[in-house]
Amino acid sequence: MATTRKRTSAKVARSSQPASPMRVRADALQDLPAGVGQLSWGERLSVLDAWVQVLDGAYAHLPLKRALYGYDPIRAIEHLRQQVPALNDLQFHRELATLINRLRDAHTQYKGPKSLEGVVASLPFLVEAYGPADQPTYVVSKVNEEAVRDKHFVPGVSLEWWNGVPFDRAVDLHAESETGGRPDARRARALESLTFRALGYSPPPNEHWVVIGYRDSGNRPREIRLAWQLVEPDRAATASRGGAMRTRRAINPAAEAVRRAKKAMFNPELWKAESKPARASAGTGYEDFLTARPVAGGKFGYLRIWSFDVDDDQGFLDAAIQLLDGLPDRGLIIDLRDNPGGLIWAAERMLQLFTPDPVMPTKFALRATPLTAAMASAAFNQQELAPWVESLTTAASTGEPFSSHLPITSAEQCNDLGQCYGGPVVVVVDANTYSSGDLFTAGVVDNSIGPVVCIGQATGAGGANVWSSDDLRAAMAAAERPLPPLPEGVGFSVAVRRAVRNGSADGVLIEDSGIAGQPYAMTEHDIFGSNEDLIAHCAELLEAQPWTRMNVKRKAGALTIVTAGLDQLDLYIDGHPSGETIFLKQDGTKRVPLPAKAGEVEVVGFAGGVVRQRRRLAAPAGRG
Amino acid sequence: MALVIAGNVVAMAPSDPAKVFRGRVWLGDDGLIDAVTPEKAPAPAGFDKAPVVDVKDAWVLPGLIDLHNHIAYNALPLWAEPSQKVSFRHHNSWTGAPTYQKSIGWPAGLLVTAEPEALLAYVQLRALVGGTTAIQGWPTANRQHVQVLRDIDEEKAGSTNRNLIHTSALTLPLLALGKMAQFENAGAGFIYHCAEGQPGSVVAKEFTDVGNAGCLQKTFIAIHCNAIAGTDWKRWAPKEKTGAVVWSPFSNLWLYGKTTDIVSARRQGVTVCLGSDWGPSGTKHVLGELKVARLASDKLGMGLKDDELVAMVTSNPGDVLARCWSRPFGRLVPGAFPDVTVLRPKGSGDVWSQVVAATEREVMLVVFDGKARYGDAALMSAAGASPSSTLTVAGIKRGFAIPDPADEKKAWTWADISGRLDAVRKDPAHAVKKADAIRRSYAGPMDDRKAPLELVLDMPGGGPQAALAMPKHPENVVVPPLPTLVHDKAFFKDIHGRGFHEGLLDGLAKFYG
Repeated sequence: MATTRKRTSAKVARSSQPASPMRVRADALQDLPAGVGQLSWGERLSVLDAWVQVLDGAYAHLPLKRALYGYDPIRAIEHLRQQVPALNDLQFHRELATLINRLRDAHTQYKGPKSLEGVVASLPFLVEAYGPADQPTYVVSKVNEEAVRDKHFVPGVSLEWWNGVPFDRAVDLHAESETGGRPDARRARALESLTFRALGYSPPPNEHWVVIGYRDSGNRPREIRLAWQLVEPDRAATASRGGAMRTRRAINPAAEAVRRAKKAMFNPELWKAESKPARASAGTGYEDFLTARPVAGGKFGYLRIWSFDVDDDQGFLDAAIQLLDGLPDRGLIIDLRDNPGGLIWAAERMLQLFTPDPVMPTKFALRATPLTAAMASAAFNQQELAPWVESLTTAASTGEPFSSHLPITSAEQCNDLGQCYGGPVVVVVDANTYSSGDLFTAGVVDNSIGPVVCIGQATGAGGANVWSSDDLRAAMAAAERPLPPLPEGVGFSVAVRRAVRNGSADGVLIEDSGIAGQPYAMTEHDIFGSNEDLIAHCAELLEAQPWTRMNVKRKAGALTIVTAGLDQLDLYIDGHPSGETIFLKQDGTKRVPLPAKAGEVEVVGFAGGVVRQRRRLAAPAGRG
Repeated sequence: MALVIAGNVVAMAPSDPAKVFRGRVWLGDDGLIDAVTPEKAPAPAGFDKAPVVDVKDAWVLPGLIDLHNHIAYNALPLWAEPSQKVSFRHHNSWTGAPTYQKSIGWPAGLLVTAEPEALLAYVQLRALVGGTTAIQGWPTANRQHVQVLRDIDEEKAGSTNRNLIHTSALTLPLLALGKMAQFENAGAGFIYHCAEGQPGSVVAKEFTDVGNAGCLQKTFIAIHCNAIAGTDWKRWAPKEKTGAVVWSPFSNLWLYGKTTDIVSARRQGVTVCLGSDWGPSGTKHVLGELKVARLASDKLGMGLKDDELVAMVTSNPGDVLARCWSRPFGRLVPGAFPDVTVLRPKGSGDVWSQVVAATEREVMLVVFDGKARYGDAALMSAAGASPSSTLTVAGIKRGFAIPDPADEKKAWTWADISGRLDAVRKDPAHAVKKADAIRRSYAGPMDDRKAPLELVLDMPGGGPQAALAMPKHPENVVVPPLPTLVHDKAFFKDIHGRGFHEGLLDGLAKFYG
């Protein structure tokens, strides 16, 4: 088997080198010493001490997870502590990762020793499912042809066996080790990670190779044996590097690593695109995060948001606006499937681009504990936690279990750009839409931006702001509550602030429930084509929504306003009403002179008394 | 009070450890050495009224360090199990020997129960007589007590932290070893009895365990390790991250007939220190253990030089402990603890051979924490060591300054100390009854200086087990006569034909001829 493995790896290495920065490691799973880096017992105890301290003092979901799953992670860690000398490194790593995974919280993850950081164990094919949730059909959707010699094992073959286990049962078994509050979320995540495992966040696969039973295009049963290989995908140049924004993130880091590995293996052209320097006339520089195209015969636009994992939310939004400018304004499908989340600011500020109404940000709270109160009170943590200080310190006197729920993205930030896209919007999500993806979806629903189409029951239900162990170390040190030293390369992420929704769902938790939408089951056509059935379904929803148009240009001291479907325009200059309301009798172009000293201008379009459009135009250069 | 000692200074400074010069050691009243200067150098500030003790051509050394002991057992004589015909396999082999409790556990338990303060005074004086200024292996106490030696286990080094060093004489559960590794990761030291026994015996696993736990670091101080094979030392790597092993050759040879593979340990970069262990199987202090190390090295071909042996009781343990205390130790350098031992010249060899050859007779002055605690009566007087009592040791009248716990402004006398311990021997039941009455009559907090002192023995069978194992009738406990403070004929006679050293330890008497 080693021969097969080496041949496979070498082939992939040759094929991937010119196309992507993904590194294929020469070693396979069995070559890793014990599968993980080595930790002494003392180091293991330090890891456990740190977990106990953080779970007990800072983990936002602890009481809810205890209640929901009947599981106490702190007691479980204390039990694991007693086993420390009896476990080898791999066993310890597996036990702790499994223990943390039982929280069903992709935000809260144990990151193993450094030897595995950034490494993804992969098989050279992708699995997808279509059909009803209770009777899915599993198929191979992509194959790395350079790594697979079997000419029968091609996209489209149906999967029946995984190491002799019926395929749907194998997915269920793998789901047991996955995060995800709902069973459908666990299954979705299991399917996503079945052939791609981020080893920094989960134990290595048990088997060194898998035997896949499948039916070929002629419906003949066949088998193929494939070895796990180890790949190390790089991060995009514009991806988050964990700088100042890192405490404002909401992401499933394991899913992000897997997403990058899949992209490297199956979309080398996109790798090429993101590695090229962005040009003002073409690329946005955010090709790893945003792509767009017209669909439905050019009638509607389609915006794919792959991830929010950026450091520069403004750059991300500028790229989105650039892409939106080139799309039809009749309606827009925003696709967030498999989006693992990222920077909260990027997700929440993006909402304003699609609505004329003010956007209300999601609110967050910390658990009220002596640790969070000390962290919030520490001088060096004021920039991050100052708004929560009063409620956290008061909680000691009131017994309130949580702080006040306050936004991380301020209302001003959420509304500082205003609407850019005036057409109706439909958002597509699935159970792998997670964290900032959850927040974006919640914002779409709670701010009445548009309908949500959901593959599965709801989004992935990651309702929290996640901090890394480095973030916590700094915040706890400032509070003179030091985190025990962690061995080199070991870390974790923890949900520190939980999120609650707004609008009619005000106060409702996102964690473990997610955001439900109109259900949609993927079709075979969707998987092997370009989501045609899904897009057609969304197009119907867009068609059913009211549509208006308002394009505004400012030039030579006047506004040129092109409208459709609107019957009234209001004008605001520097925040104040200006002139009389403009009533429109028909679609067309309207020229509106501006006062000589007009600064920022806002135009509001109405249809039947309802605000449908709003555009904000900045003051000309050189003007206040 | 500041103190100045003038003589042949053997500073063992890191820059030139071999340098010996006529000079002065300036011991400040702040608990630190202020300066170490040539003889004619001007006085540092603050020493105008400091007494100057001129020891002429005597050697002024860093205070001797005993890094392995169990001092609560040091009022007991050498012990050998009469029924044991072959050497013991390991440290768990002799604690169940027929006479172990009767000869060691019970009398030690009786002494710490009946006269804990007199016991501590005696064992400290015994260490001072051998030039010791710092010692490891104190019994756990409920409160502060009279202390004239540095307590290595509890030293705070100017901080408020009593946990700069963790210690265990007993084999710890594996999980506890992991905890110790955590303490070490945070900078603390860990002194641990490890792999004590015959090479290849089951206790060799203890060294594997401390390795797996992550304890094998720069601040790990392993006591014994005579059970591990030469190649096992390579586990403690890399060389720049090795800590120390404490070698107690007398005890090893007495119980097991084999001692630690010092050559392999040194080859791996492990720092070697000496410890005299305890009364039942050790020398009386490290000055005696130095000679056993000399004998063992010569007999077993270890090739240790005299200066290397002297370092094992000064700069070697000092350097390792300094990692935990963040303060120089075991060397006479500015900023170090002001602990000094002065030895009378002996013979015509170099300073190192004279130190190795030195006996109790050559110990002229012992200064702990800047205060003279033991020495020739004249020097004690010159050093302003008042109040002090007198005692003749090795034919010379000495002074010693151990405060009387009943009135710490007074010096405790040898007659009172030894008399109290002797009274326990003569009437154990009465002594226990008296101590019990004192304990019952006290109603205050147990950590108060006025509370009855309670000590907990640290060896196997000590601690809570000791109380359970004690006979119901103390009068049935035989407390042996108080041993002398020096290595003398009675001690050498006790060695001959006993233990499992195959005659090697008989050579010790020659140093005292």
